[in-house]
Amino acid sequence: MRTRLAADVYSVFWREMKRFWLQKPRIVVSVIQPAIWLGLMGNLMGGLLDKPMAAAVLGTGNYLSFMTAGVMVMTTLFGGVFGGVSIIWDRRLGLLNKMLAAPIARAAIPVGKALAVAVQTSIQVALIALVARLLGVAFVTGPAGVLMAIGIAALFSVIMSSLSLILAARLKSHEALFAVVNFLTMPLMFTSNAMFPTQTMPGWLRSIAAYNPVSYAVRPMRQLVTGGWDWTVLGQDAAVVAAMAALMVILAVLQYRKMVA
Amino acid sequence: MTMKAIEVRGLTKTYPGGIRAVDQVSFWVGEGEIFGFLGPNGAGKSTTILMLTTLATPTAGSATVMGYDVTTNTDAVRRSLGYVSQDLAVDDSLTGWENLYLQARFYGLTRDEMRRRIPEVLDMVGLTSRARDLVETYSGGMRKRLDIAAGLIHRPKVLFLDEPTLGLDIQTRREIWDYITRLREESGMTIFLTTHYMEEADRLCDRIAIIDRGSIKAVGTPSELKSTLGGDVIVLRFGGTDAGVAEALARIRALPGVRDVARYGDDYRVAVQDGESTLPQFFAATQDGAAPIVRVSINRVTLDDVYLSFTGRALRDEESSREDALQQRIRMRRVRG
Ligand SMILES: Nc1ncnc2c1ncn2[C@@H]1O[C@H](COP(=O)(O)OP(=O)(O)OP(=O)(O)O)[C@@H](O)[C@H]1O
Ligand SMILES: [Mg+2]
Repeated sequence: MRTRLAADVYSVFWREMKRFWLQKPRIVVSVIQPAIWLGLMGNLMGGLLDKPMAAAVLGTGNYLSFMTAGVMVMTTLFGGVFGGVSIIWDRRLGLLNKMLAAPIARAAIPVGKALAVAVQTSIQVALIALVARLLGVAFVTGPAGVLMAIGIAALFSVIMSSLSLILAARLKSHEALFAVVNFLTMPLMFTSNAMFPTQTMPGWLRSIAAYNPVSYAVRPMRQLVTGGWDWTVLGQDAAVVAAMAALMVILAVLQYRKMVA
Repeated sequence: MTMKAIEVRGLTKTYPGGIRAVDQVSFWVGEGEIFGFLGPNGAGKSTTILMLTTLATPTAGSATVMGYDVTTNTDAVRRSLGYVSQDLAVDDSLTGWENLYLQARFYGLTRDEMRRRIPEVLDMVGLTSRARDLVETYSGGMRKRLDIAAGLIHRPKVLFLDEPTLGLDIQTRREIWDYITRLREESGMTIFLTTHYMEEADRLCDRIAIIDRGSIKAVGTPSELKSTLGGDVIVLRFGGTDAGVAEALARIRALPGVRDVARYGDDYRVAVQDGESTLPQFFAATQDGAAPIVRVSINRVTLDDVYLSFTGRALRDEESSREDALQQRIRMRRVRG
């Protein structure tokens, strides 16, 4: 039984990855876009750093270093929330019925797809780390820190893609899914610590930012870029992200278990 | 004697919103039989298949496939059947070979089985030389053949084919008929297919169920169904007023040997025991009326006539719903690529 679940997850995963490699323009854009963000924001905000106060708030003398984790999580967030789109296509093209008519474990569908998104995210985050390095941002924790940041981003992508897969199973149309996803992503992004330090936020926003799942991913990743190996921050936040990922996977599996068509 | 491959009792499906797509349907299919569901758009053919393939939950009634209940023993049912939907469900972003590999994985084939089966089914549908190309580059007919090959990969006991030749040209349609008859001859597979082509049902099926608006109107072999109407159909056209025509038809109905009268556009199709001996009586019965017969021909009874007599509608006159038209467009777009 367990081996069958693993085999079925791999089948679904395999198909998603085949599709991913065909979308070369998407892969290129997913690297260029964060590069533009980093370049643009780095220049816009560069002047800020003349003031020693600002550097203290950011925790680094380089706004690009501050932004790197934010851009990584933003890319992960966008990749994740569209993870459900493939289910809607599968349903429309009859591929979902084809899978469901076969004796595969239902859980394999969301798990295989979420896993594929996680791997795709990891590739993108690794490429962003490379772009950032070229722009002069080095992880103070070195290559091991980059790997851990990729791991946290992958877990965070599982949270978002599972949510998207649950929504896609219920909403059944692209339009509805896009509407809900757009409604979710921008507020999630801007009420987090991804773009701006929380110290400069008004109190109400700061309390939202403190509990925003995005912040839980950004904080340890930023720590890895500019801070160092401080396990009190890293351990706690990574554990919260992992727990949320596990919870969302369970919810997605429950949703797909009752799916007939 | 033989076991029943499919057994259906009182199967009913009401969709949310209240559409009763399938209403108290009962029938059985013997092992090794080719059984056809013949009906117009929206008759409930696909919905019946969805319930038999565990893709939709029946609202009422029960069904078994190879003896396994479709609602309680879904895993065994899924292992027994192959399903080829009417959607051309092949993945454009994979090659033909990869589509079959994926399907083989879904059915838990071992590596050795895959190495044998994938070339076998590719050969059967004549796609061996294109197997390494992306499906994106396939024509509609090739996609359909690949889809059928995928349905066969695990040697199912029962194969469900939902409108296997919809939207295909005559040549491809004939090829697919060939595969279907060969499958039964070579493997003794039970095949359940749906169609709205008379010729297809007549040629391929051992037995046919005529389904309309969710209910089965008749079940039998093609010749049994035709013999319910007698041997010939006399096609008539009248001149004169509507009232005169009604009067003439009433007189014709009263004649001995007349089984059924159905309207078909401007023509009336009258099923009779024996055309040659009955026709003179038609003239005798109507010659002093207000609507004389102006055109006449004698034909053998076709399934079309049977269909017309059971449903009161001609298949080709059937209006498709907007949703069906939309689905058709999506399908055609995929066919054209
Ligand atoms: N998911 C659905 N929700 C609501 N109604 C549906 C759904 N699927 C089908 N129907 C309705 O149920 C009826 C039967 O549809 P079904 O698809 O079973 O017909 P069909 O015989 O396969 O027709 P076609 O020849 O067009 O494929 C139709 O009135 C259709 O509009
Ligand atoms: Mg149908």
